[in-house]
Amino acid sequence: MIRHSLAEGWLLLRSRGLVSPILAVALAIPISLAGVTVSVRQWLAPVVELGERESVVTVLLHPRLGAAERRSWIDRQAAHHSGWRLREVGREELAERLSRWFPYLEELLAREGPEMLPPMVEIVTAEPTGVAVLRDDAAVLAVGPTSSVNRMVGRVAGRFAVVLLVVAAALMAGALLFAGVWVHLELHRNAEEIAIMRLMGATESTVRGPFLVAVTAPALIAAATSVVITVVTVGWMARLAAPLGLTAAGPPWWVLLAEAVTAVVLPVAAAHVTLERHASTTGG
Amino acid sequence: MSTEALSGLGGLGRRGHVIRIRGVTKDYERRQILRGVDLSIDPGELVFLTGPSGAGKTTLLRLLYAAERPTAGEIWIAGDRVDTMTRSELPRLRRKIGVIFQDFKLLRRKTVLENVTFVLRFHGVPPKEAGRRAYQVLKRLGLHHRQSAMPEALSGGEQQRVAIARALVYQPRLILADEPTGNLDADLAAELLSLLCDINYQGATVVVATHDHALLESLPARTLVLHRGTIDYDGRWPP
Repeated sequence: MIRHSLAEGWLLLRSRGLVSPILAVALAIPISLAGVTVSVRQWLAPVVELGERESVVTVLLHPRLGAAERRSWIDRQAAHHSGWRLREVGREELAERLSRWFPYLEELLAREGPEMLPPMVEIVTAEPTGVAVLRDDAAVLAVGPTSSVNRMVGRVAGRFAVVLLVVAAALMAGALLFAGVWVHLELHRNAEEIAIMRLMGATESTVRGPFLVAVTAPALIAAATSVVITVVTVGWMARLAAPLGLTAAGPPWWVLLAEAVTAVVLPVAAAHVTLERHASTTGG
Repeated sequence: MSTEALSGLGGLGRRGHVIRIRGVTKDYERRQILRGVDLSIDPGELVFLTGPSGAGKTTLLRLLYAAERPTAGEIWIAGDRVDTMTRSELPRLRRKIGVIFQDFKLLRRKTVLENVTFVLRFHGVPPKEAGRRAYQVLKRLGLHHRQSAMPEALSGGEQQRVAIARALVYQPRLILADEPTGNLDADLAAELLSLLCDINYQGATVVVATHDHALLESLPARTLVLHRGTIDYDGRWPP
């Protein structure tokens, strides 16, 4: 049975000449482009993560607030905002930071002492913009920064990654459509022969074997071609990205595996579906 | 070839009929091609099926080899109910029947010899033996010298004979022929008829759909006349 399928399948392939390899490459292109897209999306992952990182927002409280009032204010805010982690920064620590960040203040801070500094609270949160509500609080002198460049870059990268996934999905849909049309036309070309074989008493496996071989062989070529295209393209893009300081890696192994499996499964599944439909419309 | 495949119609239908049809109706869209046909054919019979074009001859044969299913009614071939067969059961039925198609149904990409040998593969005949048997049948039909030709290089009559060779090569016990002499000249038609008679004489049941009156008159065989989807006459020809 296998020998018959291989021999007859080879005859079918030979009768198609160069058409089968060309179709295989045509199928490999959308699949490999989808693979490239997913690989590039992987590069964006660390940037996308920036958008998920927590930011620190500084809140300066009114100097007239005593220690107990500050404690009570901090507890109140922590109770109202479950996503916030609040910590009061001691005046000495603040003075040290200021003298480190702004050395010209060192003399003033030494002369006046840290008591002149307003009390400061740091709020660690994933949503820094939400802290802006404190601007209307009577106990608060200033709030900032409530926006984060990292976060913005991360969010843009996240949206771009979604777009890339959509593009990859569209390419895969194109590959599915292509495989369906290809196999359908291939069956249409051999429909009469298949119908005759069925009428002569050939079993389904005898009928389907050669046709599946004739579809699987180009599918394997498509699988290999898509993997090669992806490895070469992603490698080339990685070299382009390297001078920009991006640590771009090669395509992940699972992307290459998924490409190879897709390139084989799509046409073979399409062949099964088409043969099944053909059998039901030609009296089995 | 297995003994079972050669003997083919091992089990007979009810009351020993090879073919038994009861109340068979076939509709195409809104057109009724066959209307409640009842028919029984015994083993070893030679039966002509005749009638005007569109009477339902080809449809009746197609129902017998299960290329189509009836809209209503029962069809039994050699004890097997055909109209309710699943797709996986059909190959076994079809391997019992030799069908000669009106439009030949030859495989375009195969030579004459390959067209005849490929059916033997379904019967499990080894390639060498299949080639030998196919050559013998082709020789009997005067086509052995064209064994390497492609079907498109053959005349209509030659293609018809290849189709006949393919139907006979596995020695089926039931042969259904749809207009087998349609593309043959008078001499070849007579030769074919003699061949079918030989096969029938050896015990095979032969059903021939034809509108060739000369063919009907040449043999005193049972003749069924189909008219507007019903059997109008069942007896010797001429009525």
